[in-house]
Amino acid sequence: MLKNIFIVLISVFLVHISSNISYTIEPDEILNDQKQELRARNISKKIRCVVCQNQSIDESNAPLAKDLRILIKNKIKEGSSDKEIYKFLTDRYGDFILLKPPFKLSTLMLWFMPFVFFIIGILFLFYHNKKSKKFN
Amino acid sequence: MNKQLIIIPIVIFSLILLTFFYLLSIERNPSNIPSNLLEKKVPNFESESLLKNYIFDSSKEFNDEITLVNFFATWCKPCKEEHVYIKRFAKEEKIRVIGINYKDSTKKTIKWLGDLGNPYSNVLLDKNGRIAIDWGVYGIPETFIVSSEGIIKYRHAGPITKKIYKKINKIIMEID
Repeated sequence: MLKNIFIVLISVFLVHISSNISYTIEPDEILNDQKQELRARNISKKIRCVVCQNQSIDESNAPLAKDLRILIKNKIKEGSSDKEIYKFLTDRYGDFILLKPPFKLSTLMLWFMPFVFFIIGILFLFYHNKKSKKFN
Repeated sequence: MNKQLIIIPIVIFSLILLTFFYLLSIERNPSNIPSNLLEKKVPNFESESLLKNYIFDSSKEFNDEITLVNFFATWCKPCKEEHVYIKRFAKEEKIRVIGINYKDSTKKTIKWLGDLGNPYSNVLLDKNGRIAIDWGVYGIPETFIVSSEGIIKYRHAGPITKKIYKKINKIIMEID
């Protein structure tokens, strides 16, 4: 019984994933050259849909996401490098359009604060334990 | 020593709480994306004009007066709501108002402007949304203020309300 439920759940999950892929990228968008298509998909997965904000343009159905996907594909066909495409997009929409924030001076806090908090936590635990041991 | 250490997480937690409450209390829209084009030159683009028979070249057009650039479409309801303020801007002497018609039908736009009034000194056509991407537009309506040197000074995403109308007027006074 449990096994059957598990199989049904896995099937639903897989159907959901495959359907998601099929309705975001439309057939007329797909490039003939597989290598170029793969490059475009990889870039699209790293670009935030500025309309939906929590999705990449690869997953989003928003018209602007489609426009950006087509633009990326056209840029690839014209011979632009990945770096040039990212620059083109961030020049217009800022770093916000990148799903992964870039590592630079203004984002140092974002990258390092979790580690700082982690170290503070460890130090706190360390001193706390030391004190308890002494007390015992 | 132990007492001193206990203060650290309390202080950190209080700071985090204060930050949350501060961000909740101030007026801001987290879905608003800051424009990356502020204090930069207007993007280079060419476009057909809806009512004039010529090609608009941005590199030659933003060099003499303060310009309000408004992205709009007939299918966009908030554009209709803000139209009254665009008309008010058009009556002001200090600025020129340009409309960029986003992914729309020419026929419907001519009728729309005929019904509501045409405040634009020029209506440019952005049939495939490419010009909007160059301006970093992510939803219409969006309005930009461009200085007489062709520098983007302000961007408002969303419809112009009475409050935004006043704010834009203040900005125009400042850059004049």
